[in-house]
Amino acid sequence: MFNRRDFLRSTAAGMSFVSLSGGMSGLLARAAEASAEADRNDHVLLVVELAGGNDGLNTLVPFENPLYYKNRPTLTLAKEDLVKLSDQAGLHPRMAPLGELFSDGKLAVVQGVGYPEPDRSHFRSQEIWHTASTDKRVPATGWLGRWLDATAPAYSEGLAGLTMTSTLPQALRAERVVAPVVSQLESLSGAGDDASPQARLLRRLSTVDGASEGPVPFIRQQVRAVYRAAARLKEAASKNETNAEYPDVALAHQLRQAAQIIAADLGVRVLCTSQDGYDTHAGQAGTHAELLSELANSLAAFQRDLAARDISDKVVVLVFSEFGRRVDENASQGTDHGAASILFVVGSPVCGGLIGEYPSLEQLGDGDLIFNTDFRSVYATLLADWLGAPAKVVLGSEFPRLALIQKPA
Amino acid sequence: MSDAFFAPLDPDAFNLRQAAHLLRRAGFAPTPAELSTAVEQGLEATVEDLFADNSEEQAAFQQTFDAVAGSLVNFADASQVQAWWVHRMLRSAFPLREKLTLFWHGHFATSVHKVEDAVLMHQQIETLRANAWGNFRDLVLAVARDPAMLVWLDGQSSTLEHPNENFARELMELFTCGIGNYTERDVLEAARAFTGWHRAGNQFVFVADEHDGERKQFLGRSGRFDGGDIVDLLMQHPATPPFIAAKLLRFFATAEPSTEAVAAAARLLDRTRLDIKWFLRELFLSRYFHSEVCHRRRLASPVELVVGSVRALGARMPALELVGHMAAMGQELLAPPNVKGWDGEQTWINSSTWPARLSFAQNLASIDSENPYGPHLPLESIVPLELNDPREVVDQLADAVMQGELGEGVRSDLAEFLVTTDEGRNDEAFRDDEGFRAEKTREALAMILSLPEYQAW
Repeated sequence: MFNRRDFLRSTAAGMSFVSLSGGMSGLLARAAEASAEADRNDHVLLVVELAGGNDGLNTLVPFENPLYYKNRPTLTLAKEDLVKLSDQAGLHPRMAPLGELFSDGKLAVVQGVGYPEPDRSHFRSQEIWHTASTDKRVPATGWLGRWLDATAPAYSEGLAGLTMTSTLPQALRAERVVAPVVSQLESLSGAGDDASPQARLLRRLSTVDGASEGPVPFIRQQVRAVYRAAARLKEAASKNETNAEYPDVALAHQLRQAAQIIAADLGVRVLCTSQDGYDTHAGQAGTHAELLSELANSLAAFQRDLAARDISDKVVVLVFSEFGRRVDENASQGTDHGAASILFVVGSPVCGGLIGEYPSLEQLGDGDLIFNTDFRSVYATLLADWLGAPAKVVLGSEFPRLALIQKPA
Repeated sequence: MSDAFFAPLDPDAFNLRQAAHLLRRAGFAPTPAELSTAVEQGLEATVEDLFADNSEEQAAFQQTFDAVAGSLVNFADASQVQAWWVHRMLRSAFPLREKLTLFWHGHFATSVHKVEDAVLMHQQIETLRANAWGNFRDLVLAVARDPAMLVWLDGQSSTLEHPNENFARELMELFTCGIGNYTERDVLEAARAFTGWHRAGNQFVFVADEHDGERKQFLGRSGRFDGGDIVDLLMQHPATPPFIAAKLLRFFATAEPSTEAVAAAARLLDRTRLDIKWFLRELFLSRYFHSEVCHRRRLASPVELVVGSVRALGARMPALELVGHMAAMGQELLAPPNVKGWDGEQTWINSSTWPARLSFAQNLASIDSENPYGPHLPLESIVPLELNDPREVVDQLADAVMQGELGEGVRSDLAEFLVTTDEGRNDEAFRDDEGFRAEKTREALAMILSLPEYQAW
């Protein structure tokens, strides 16, 4: 028997998830029904986390602002090198592929995204983004996990949510639905027809019915589901090789595999990927340039791959980071943890453009950029307008939506 | 005075099966030698041994720790502190104390990811270890003063002007009496009582200027309570023994204890005035504990599985690697997912963690080095080299890791597997070729460690 657990107890701070026994599950069940009636779509959300705190100021540069040039003696990017998106803002020179996507109307940039009372700890800020909660009593579930619980049918069955990263992101932690770590599933031999005799024997011994008391029956049931999930994944891998060219970098490998899985039509709705290395405290210039170049090229390759597979209108990509970095450069030609930053939403279904305002470089919060768009507005928009989900249930309260997704014709 | 529910087991009824169960629960897993010693000396003596004094061992570990700290091993790195604890779990001659430390770590779940100081985490584990089976009150008080806890639940920033409720709330909700047994007002008042409980570096420090010494109302009582008084009052709360007893029962006895069992355990803990050692001793001696409702009725947590498997086989594996295996299975030591600890039981098995269990089994069974200073699996001690009857080999493996509790059907399937080559059945190969035999034996071992029945602990 799988016990019900609370998500989060209500607090004086106001954001509350109902915690009566069965209450949350009941709420989600009703939400699932509503969602089933409303908009049963197969849209896919792919999330790219830029881990470490991406320097938004040097990703999308407010090149007409004199204050930009004042605070960063060695890190300032030259205006003429930028990939201009408007007469005020341009992307880092190594992001030309994203510039092309912008011209095609497939890139939205949310300019000043963050949350109130920014926390500059990686752990805490990541936790806030992943759980979509600034509450001190951190929910046990992530925002994507809560969405999966509201919409996906069964525990550990199916592949509605997946991660291409090596461990499960907090965003995917759910009460019921298990989002496998793809690399773990892949390591499970015995799932396919080419399995060794050893693997096949183990599979048989693990899944035939036997004892009826204690934990063993539940384990067998789970193991059966695990083998099934692994087999489906294996099949997808063997069938959907791509011709698209990807750069030879870790993020691109994750995206390539993601495209293959999406194309295999396994019912996957959300995938998580990540790119490490953005915590550029020292010697930022070269490192950041390489990272952004990898990012831009990987995202562009992914879009090309989706187009070749004719599934461009099925996938939206969200690119975020746990915080931006300080306006002032530090003494090591780098930058320290900041607050507000930029965020990308990429794909054919997207309403391209610059969203919100570029934060002021003059009115700062403790030396950091102040946000003007709460990141949960982005989540709310993607949940409601793209995934057809009950945004308020998943996020706990209402957040104003943004014009990120094209309305259906 | 004694409660019929935990009436003692008849000493003559203590056999291999009971001994194995006891040593799995009150430790990690027994070697065949430990098992036969237990059977020989009987239940009472074995239980006594579990609670033996460990000060010599503690001093020896401390000496090793001090000798290598900062030079050979950088204990400022959390992964090294994780590895050190695994090392202790593997090597300790007092596994019950380590098991209890693990239990309390899950109970007072504090994560290095927020504390961000490996030394403080190490210190907290030492505090849990030192107070593992004493009086629960002393343990709670020690934890309330623990620097890592002060960082974790924001006691550090709790001041006269702004008492921080975080610790006060979790103290009641998760650490002592459980939700629904206090009011919001109680939380606020308790928060006031703990103001000024700060840390300076690695030490607890009471900052009088930040402490609210005024009158407070707590659980229907009134007084100028400080943190210690709050702890005392919570120890007297009638909901505390049931709350703690239930957790102890689920960890040591059975995953889903009956209401009757929980009530009896609460009565027992109450009678012992929250003395953990007394409670556990009576539990371990009881007929209930050794009955079928407890036998293999828990799902091994990653730590139990990993440490238990390595210990039972007498193997050596680098502790740091084992930390990684446990994390892949969903349990990263010193980093519980949140203040509620690990939900455990069924939540340990899913499409990410199950392959990780299989990976571990494979890795352990494949260790094939003779280097005396490296990883080692003493295959010849587990299955004598000359033993060339496949069924007997299977039986040896079953004795080694499952204390003999492996079903007949599986045994014969494995025996058949042992004599099967790529070309089909070949009894002679198994009988005459030592190399082939060793290889197949390892594969069979990996399989046993991967079975669902193996995870039933």
